[in-house]
Amino acid sequence: MQTFSIEAPSWPAHSAELRARVRALIAAQGTADKPLATLNCWNAPSPAFSRALGEAGLIGMTWPKEYGGHERSALERYIVLEELLAAGAPVGAHWIADRQTGTLLLRYGHEEERRRWVPGMARGEVFACIGLSEPNAGSDLASVRSSARRDGKDWIINGQKVWTTNGHHAHVMIALLRSVPGSERNAGLSQFVIPMNAPGVTVRPILDLTGAHDFNEIFFDNVRLPETALVGTEGDGWKQVTAELSLERCGPERYLTNTVLFTQFLRAVGPNPSESVRDLIGRIAAETWTLRLMSASVAAKIAQGEDPALEATIVKDLGNSFEQALPELIQAAVETDLGSDDALALMLGHLLQVSPSFSLRGGTREILKGIIARGLGLR
Amino acid sequence: MNEQQRMLRDTVDGVFAELGDTATLSKSWPQIDELGLPALLLPEDEGGFGGTWQDALIVFRLTGFHVLALPVAEAAIAAWLAAGTGLEGRGTIAGHADGKISAERFTGTVRGAVMSEGATFIAAPAPDGGTLLLASADGTRAAGRSNLAGEARDIWQFENALFHRSPADVFQLGAFARVAQIAGLLDSALAMSVSYVNDRQQFGRPLGKFQAVQQSLASFACEAGAANSAATGLAVALDRNNAEYEVAAAKLRANRAVGTGTAIAHQVHGAIGFTQEYHLHPRTRRLWSARSEFGGDSLWAGRLGTHVAEAGAGRFWADITALNG
Repeated sequence: MQTFSIEAPSWPAHSAELRARVRALIAAQGTADKPLATLNCWNAPSPAFSRALGEAGLIGMTWPKEYGGHERSALERYIVLEELLAAGAPVGAHWIADRQTGTLLLRYGHEEERRRWVPGMARGEVFACIGLSEPNAGSDLASVRSSARRDGKDWIINGQKVWTTNGHHAHVMIALLRSVPGSERNAGLSQFVIPMNAPGVTVRPILDLTGAHDFNEIFFDNVRLPETALVGTEGDGWKQVTAELSLERCGPERYLTNTVLFTQFLRAVGPNPSESVRDLIGRIAAETWTLRLMSASVAAKIAQGEDPALEATIVKDLGNSFEQALPELIQAAVETDLGSDDALALMLGHLLQVSPSFSLRGGTREILKGIIARGLGLR
Repeated sequence: MNEQQRMLRDTVDGVFAELGDTATLSKSWPQIDELGLPALLLPEDEGGFGGTWQDALIVFRLTGFHVLALPVAEAAIAAWLAAGTGLEGRGTIAGHADGKISAERFTGTVRGAVMSEGATFIAAPAPDGGTLLLASADGTRAAGRSNLAGEARDIWQFENALFHRSPADVFQLGAFARVAQIAGLLDSALAMSVSYVNDRQQFGRPLGKFQAVQQSLASFACEAGAANSAATGLAVALDRNNAEYEVAAAKLRANRAVGTGTAIAHQVHGAIGFTQEYHLHPRTRRLWSARSEFGGDSLWAGRLGTHVAEAGAGRFWADITALNG
């Protein structure tokens, strides 16, 4: 029995060159000296930076050229992602489109919808959001009630989605909806691609506990969609969403988001810290090194066409717990005045407040552990 | 894992499973010798398999997984360190050597020599760096000690003993062996725990049906996964011949997994797991021992922390990616 069978990735020969290119792009967009701008970076939208990345061919890297992609390998894409995250580059605007929406459309979408959305996503101009959670369907996603009902060839959408990150910047959503009236649980669900400017779509902000606007609630009031809006096969929504969640969970953003806090901590304590701080640095470096191996191993398996869903879940759970623990460990290690405008204090103050969300978004810790337990042969 | 590695795994897995946790040096070593495992890392022109450290990981991990009380990893490492010295027979390794080196002779104490009774030579960290290779005929086994699992960890005295040297670091390689064994032992304790909770009924259903138990074991699986990944990362680094960073990171991470893994294994087993009769303790007692052997948290965290702090903020991420591309 080996729960996590690890595959050491064979990194592409030119990976150092690719890293250098991404690092130069990040340096040019100028958040390096603004520590607060580097926090929670894959939820920090910068349409200008997204366009720059699109121009540089660093979005939709694995997608076919025919749809604006670049037909690069999954590991090349992985390198770009980890460089962006480790530097805290503001990638929030296009993150979801690049990670899952574009891929999902290419895999299951109607040809017309692919042509309509995917090339813009690859240019870093078209942004996406995820339509999964509803007021009564959080961790229990199979309780989705928002509906798609046939009207001739068209579909009429009604209902509500919630906790929609990026909803106020997004041009398009892929939503999980109940398309078979009276169906129960994970049967009768289908995915639809919904333009956010369609008549009947309303976006309302939900402010998080820091006062920031990341989440939204989205209302659908008799939104009319053409038949091409159905993504994949009617009734296969649950199966497709499971694959989508694998994409959502496996990435390096689940452990690298707070690397910018750790590097600021290294800056603050200097080259010769106390013994206890030195030991903490050693432990954090060890954890980062291990999580990177695990995360890259998952990427390598995906590159070989495998679906390492269990491994991806393990990486997300460990990564989230690590990211969540980091602000607290650093707060305990150095005396900090959280009211000051010192860079470390500002970053720490912000991340202490947002870190509870790390083990909520993309599947709660409890849901992930349930998936792992099933993988172990329990349940 | 390539085809050859799969074959190595399957062969060794079968033999170790059969030997199990009741194997003894006197009874079972001939079988290990016959398989050629002590020569695993030796070049083919010296009668070995020319194995890599990633091959070694497969074997070392399985000594943990099958709770094998035989110094297979230690013999393979010692033989590799002694290549070209003319030292023959079963060698072993030790965690510490204190004493003086003068005029090509060593006077001092070697501690933590693994199952050294009957070994022909001992590889120990040289006080001035690298590895000392000492013929056991030139010393005295001063005391037979053992670790928590009852495995011999002996103390030797040497008086003006001649020695050979290897520039390689036996302490680092010993740490690798322990990381690999921790990975195997954790997977083994996890498998035992899963099987136990699926069988054991309380409140009218198997323990494994309780969400609290499921979530604990899921946490255990994450830690076992981390230890296995750290072991692989370290093996890859050793094959690249530069593993200063990785050995510290891997031993630290594996050590951390020991705490969570042993606690959960015992918790889900309840009182039966705490008995001598039930065979959870050969796993957990080895795990607790391995956490100290060849460097505990404070040693490796100190080394790694010093390195990372000195390199500075600007190098942290760049160094991690430079390690393996």
